[in-house]
Amino acid sequence: MVQTEMYILLSAILFVLGVMGVLFRRNAIIVFMSVELMLNATNLALAAFARHWGMESGHLFAFFVITVAAAEVAVGLALIVAIFRTKHSINIDELHQMQG
Amino acid sequence: MIQVPSLSDFNLQYTLPALSIVVWAAALLIIDLFIPRERKQTTAWLAAGGLVFAFVVNAFLFNVNDEAFLGMFRADQFTAYLNAVVLGAAFIGVLMSVDYIKRIGIERGEYYVLLLFSVAGMMFMAAANDLIAVFVALELLSIPLYVLSAFRAPDTKSEESGLKYFILGAFASAFLVYGAALIYGATGTTNIPAIFAAVSGIEIGGSASILLLIGSGLMLVGLGFKVAAVPFHMWTPDVYEGAPTPITAFMSVGAKVGGFAAMFRILASALPTFILMDASLHAAWQTTVWILAAATLILGNLVAISQSNVKRMLAYSSIAHAGYILMAVAAAGTAGVADAAARAALFYLLAYMFTNLGAFAIAIALEKDDGSGTNISDFTGLAKSRPGLAAMMAFFMLSLTGFPPTAGFVAKFLIFQQTLDAGLVPLAIIGVLTSVISGYYYLNIVVKMFLGDGEGDPAEGATPHLRWAAYACFAGTLILFVLPVLGTDIASSVHLATALIP
Amino acid sequence: MEATGLSLLTVILFLPLVGMTIILFIPGDQGRNIRYTALGFSVVTFALSLVMWASFDPNVAGLQMVQRWDWMPTFGISYYVGVDGISLLLIVLTAFIMPIAILVSMASHIFQERGREKWYYLFLMVLEWAMLGAFMIQDLIVFYIFFEITLVPMYFLIGIWGAENRVYAAVKFFLYTLAGSVLMLLAILYVGNQAGTFAIPEIVSMVHSGALTFPFDGLFSTQSYLFLGFFIAFAIKVPLWPFHSWLPDAHVQAPTAGSVILAGVLLKLGTYGMIRVLLPIFPEATVAWAPIVAVLAIIGIIYGAWVCYAQDDAKKLVAYSSVSHMGFIVLGIFALNGQGIQGSILQMVNHGVSTGGLFLIVGMLYERRHTKKLADYGGIWKALPVFGAISLVITLSSMGLPGLNGFIGEFTILLGTFGSEVLGFFFALFATLGIILAAVYMLYMFQKVFMGELDKEENKHLPDMNWMEYAALIPVLVGVFLIGLYPALFFAPMNTTVMELAAQVGHFVTTVAQAVP
Repeated sequence: MVQTEMYILLSAILFVLGVMGVLFRRNAIIVFMSVELMLNATNLALAAFARHWGMESGHLFAFFVITVAAAEVAVGLALIVAIFRTKHSINIDELHQMQG
Repeated sequence: MIQVPSLSDFNLQYTLPALSIVVWAAALLIIDLFIPRERKQTTAWLAAGGLVFAFVVNAFLFNVNDEAFLGMFRADQFTAYLNAVVLGAAFIGVLMSVDYIKRIGIERGEYYVLLLFSVAGMMFMAAANDLIAVFVALELLSIPLYVLSAFRAPDTKSEESGLKYFILGAFASAFLVYGAALIYGATGTTNIPAIFAAVSGIEIGGSASILLLIGSGLMLVGLGFKVAAVPFHMWTPDVYEGAPTPITAFMSVGAKVGGFAAMFRILASALPTFILMDASLHAAWQTTVWILAAATLILGNLVAISQSNVKRMLAYSSIAHAGYILMAVAAAGTAGVADAAARAALFYLLAYMFTNLGAFAIAIALEKDDGSGTNISDFTGLAKSRPGLAAMMAFFMLSLTGFPPTAGFVAKFLIFQQTLDAGLVPLAIIGVLTSVISGYYYLNIVVKMFLGDGEGDPAEGATPHLRWAAYACFAGTLILFVLPVLGTDIASSVHLATALIP
Repeated sequence: MEATGLSLLTVILFLPLVGMTIILFIPGDQGRNIRYTALGFSVVTFALSLVMWASFDPNVAGLQMVQRWDWMPTFGISYYVGVDGISLLLIVLTAFIMPIAILVSMASHIFQERGREKWYYLFLMVLEWAMLGAFMIQDLIVFYIFFEITLVPMYFLIGIWGAENRVYAAVKFFLYTLAGSVLMLLAILYVGNQAGTFAIPEIVSMVHSGALTFPFDGLFSTQSYLFLGFFIAFAIKVPLWPFHSWLPDAHVQAPTAGSVILAGVLLKLGTYGMIRVLLPIFPEATVAWAPIVAVLAIIGIIYGAWVCYAQDDAKKLVAYSSVSHMGFIVLGIFALNGQGIQGSILQMVNHGVSTGGLFLIVGMLYERRHTKKLADYGGIWKALPVFGAISLVITLSSMGLPGLNGFIGEFTILLGTFGSEVLGFFFALFATLGIILAAVYMLYMFQKVFMGELDKEENKHLPDMNWMEYAALIPVLVGVFLIGLYPALFFAPMNTTVMELAAQVGHFVTTVAQAVP
C-alpha cells in the first residue's frame, strides 16, 4: 500500500504546478485550468487524508470541491467569453483599462 | 449502523435568516420572469423585503448559542451580529442600486438575485463552524460577486473587473481549500471545535504540526485575498474601480465580513492553542497576522494618497481598513484577549458598514450615466452646489479617519484598546500613525468640497432613494458615536474562545 | 456630590449646541437672524458661566457641580463634567471670548467675498461647545473627543474664511495637531486599561493611594513614555518650542475671530491638559522631566520674542509673541509649586484677554486698510484717537506693565520659578530676559503702527469705530483692569485646588530627587 506521504507529495507538486501556471501563463483559459489543477491537487490530498484517518468527511469535502469547481467553471468561462467578444483577446496582460 | 438524523436535529430555525435568503433568491429568479421590463423596480423591493424578513428573524437569534446542521453551522451572537451587518449593507446597497442601475442601463432582475445569493454566502460564512462550510460559503459569497462586478458589460472596465476578480478569487479559494485539506490532514477533522480539541494533542515539531502550520498559512493567504490584506491586495483597486459602484460599496463591506468571520472562527476558535514554543501566551499565527496588519496599514494608507479616482481611493482605504481589523485579529492571538478583540472587530465592521456605504452613496450621486464623474476633482465646490451632501461626505471622511464625533472614532479606539491589551504596542503605534496619514487623503476630499473654488457638481445622481441611503448611513455613523452601547451591548456575549473549550 | 437634575455645567455646555441647531434651521439668507442668534446664545452662555462662578465654593479642592452619565459602561467611560479651581476661570474665559469673537465677525467684511455666513456661525457654536467640553470633562476619553473636535470647526474657519494661503494653513493645522494627539490616545487607552476606568479623579486618587502605579525608573521608563504621549499632544497645542511651526501659519491665515479664539482659548487646552493630566497622574515623570520642559519653555520665550523683531506682518508678530507668552505659562506649571501653577492659570486668562485683544486690534486695522504690513501704517493714533488709546492699554497689558493684568501673572510665575525646587534661579533669570524682550517688541509694534507722522494718504480718512467694535473691545479693557487691579478675585477660587495639587506633586519632588540623581 502506498504511503499517505507519497500522495501528499504528489498533491503538493500538482498544487505548486497550478500556482506556477496562474502566475506565469498569460492566457486566461490556461490560467483558469491551472486553478482547476490546484483544486484537483486538493481533492487528491483530501482523498489521501480521508483514507489515512479512516474518516469519510474528507471524501465529502472532495465532493464539495468538485461541485464548486463546476460552478466556478460556468461563471469563469462566461466571463472569458464576454471579454473575448469585446476585446477579441483573452491575454490577461491586455486587461489594463484601469491603472493607478 | 449509521444513525439517520431526524429533521429536528438539524436545528433549521437557527439558520433561518440565511436559508430564507437562499430560498427567496431562488424564488425571485422565477418571479422576476413575470415582472415586465419597465417595472423592474418591483424586483428590488421584493429583494429588500426578503432582507427585512431575514433581519427581523435574525434579531431573535441574538441570544442563541447552539449548532445547526449537525455542527456545520454555529448560531451565536457572533453570527447574528455579522448577519445584521451584512443584511444592513445589502439593504442600503439595494437602495443605492435602484435608480443607479436604471440610469446606467443595466436594470435586470438577476442583479438583485445575485446580490441575495451573495448575502446568503456571507451569512453562512459568519455561521460556518466547519472548514467545508467555510469553503462552500466563501464560494457562494464570491461567485455572484464576480458576475456582479462584470454586470456593466459590455463596458470593458467592468468586464475586466469581473475577470480579474474571478481569476484572483478562484486562485485564493484554491489556497484556502488546500490549506483546509492540510489542516484536515493534521487533525483528522474539519469541524472547528474538533480541530481545537485535536490541536492541543499535536506534538510540537512533529509532522502533524508542520502540516498544521502550512495549512493555516495557506488558509490565511486565501482569506487575506478576500479581505484585501497586503500583499494579497492587488486586485482590489481595479475591481473596485470597474465594478458598478453600488456593488463596489456592498462588496467592500460584505466580502470583509465574510473573510474576517472565517478568520476569527479559524484562528481564534480553532487554533488559539496552536503554539510553537512552550509556555507562550501567544498563538503561533499572531506574529504573521501582526506583520500582515502592519504591512496592510502602511501600504494601504500610503498608496491611497496618490489616487485621483475616488473609487480607487476608497479601494485603498478599504485595504487600510482591513489592516485595522487585522489588528484586532492579531490581538485575538494573545490568551484572554480573543473575545474582546472579536467584539471590537464586530463593532468596527458595523461602523465601517455605515461609513463606507455612506461615502460610496455620495460618490454615486456624483457619478454620471457613462461612468465618469468619479474623480476626486469632481468633488470641487460640492459644498456650494449641494451643501447637504458635502456635509455628509465630510462626516463620512472624518469617520473613516477615525475622528470624533463619529462611529469610526469609537471603532478605532476599541481596536487600539484591544491591541494594547494584547501587548502589541508597536502595532498600535503604527495604527495611530497611519490614521494620521489617512487623515491627509480623506481631508483632501473635504478640502476640495469646502475650500475649493468652483461651482460644484449638480450631483444629479442624488435621487430620493440614494439620499435615503445616505441619510441612513449618516444616522448610523452619528448614532453609533452618541450611543455606542447600541453596537457593543449586542456583542457583549460573543465568546469565540471560551465557548469551545471541551 | 451627585446632582440629581441637570448640572449647571451641562446646561452651559449644551447651550451652544442648541444655538447651533437653531442656526441650522434658519435659512442662509437671513444673515441678521443668524448673527443675533449666535450672539444671543454666546452671551447667555457667558452669563451662566458667571452664575457658575458665583455659586462656586472656593474652599473645596475637589470637583463641584458634578454630573455623570454612563457612555460606555463596559469600558468605564462616562460623560463626567465637573468644575474645580483649575477649570473655573478657563470656562469663564471661553464663554467671555466667544461673544467678542462673534461681535468682531459681525463687524467684518469677510462675508461679502466668501459668503456662507450661516456655516460660519454654525462652526463658531460648535467650537464653543467643544472648548467648553474640553475644560469641563473629567473623563480621559471624552476629554480626548472634545480636544479633537475643536479641530474641525477651526479647520473650516481657517480654510473657508482665511487669507490667501488658507488651505495650506488649515490642513497643516489639522494634521499637525492630529499627529500630536493620536499618541495621546494610545497613552489614554493604556492608562484606562490599567485603571479600569477613564475618570480622571478616580485615576488620580488611585495613583496617590498607591492602588495604581505606572513603573517609573528615570527619564525612559513606562511612566515617562506615557507622560511623553500626553506631553507631545499638549506641547503641540500650546505650542511649545520646537512644536510651534503650525501656529504662525494658522494665525496669519485665520479670520480675526479665528485668531482671537485660537490665541484666547484653544492654546490653553494644551496648558490646561498639562495641569489636569500630567501633574496628578504621572507625578514622578513630571518631576523628572520638569527641567527639560522648562528649558524648552525658556527657549520658546526668548525665541518667540526674538523672532518678533524680524516680522513686518502684524499678525505674525502677535502670533510669535504668543509662543513667547505660552512659554511662560508652561514654565510656571513645571515650577511644580503653588505659586507657579496659580500664576500660570492666571496668565492663561491674561493671555486670552490681552492677546485676544491684540488680534482684535490687528483685525480691525485690517478691515480698514486690508493690509497687515507694519510698514503700511504709522500715525494711526492721530486718525483714530480712541482706538489708539485702547490699543495702547492692551499693548501695555501684553507687555506686563504693573497695574495691568499681564504683570500679575508673569510676576507670580517668576516668583514660583525662583522658589521652585526643580527649577530655581537661573530659569527665573532667563525668563526675566523674556519679559524685557517682550517690552521691546511690543513697543516696537505700537510705535510703528500708531506713533509717528500720519504720512500715508490712505491712512488719513479711516472710518471711525462702530458700536460692534466698541462692544468687542470694551470687555477686553474691563478684563485688563479688573485682573490688574483686583487679582485676589481671580486667585481666590483656584487657591484651594491648586494648593492641594501642588502638595500632591511636591511630595514626589523629594522622592524622585533621591531615585534619579
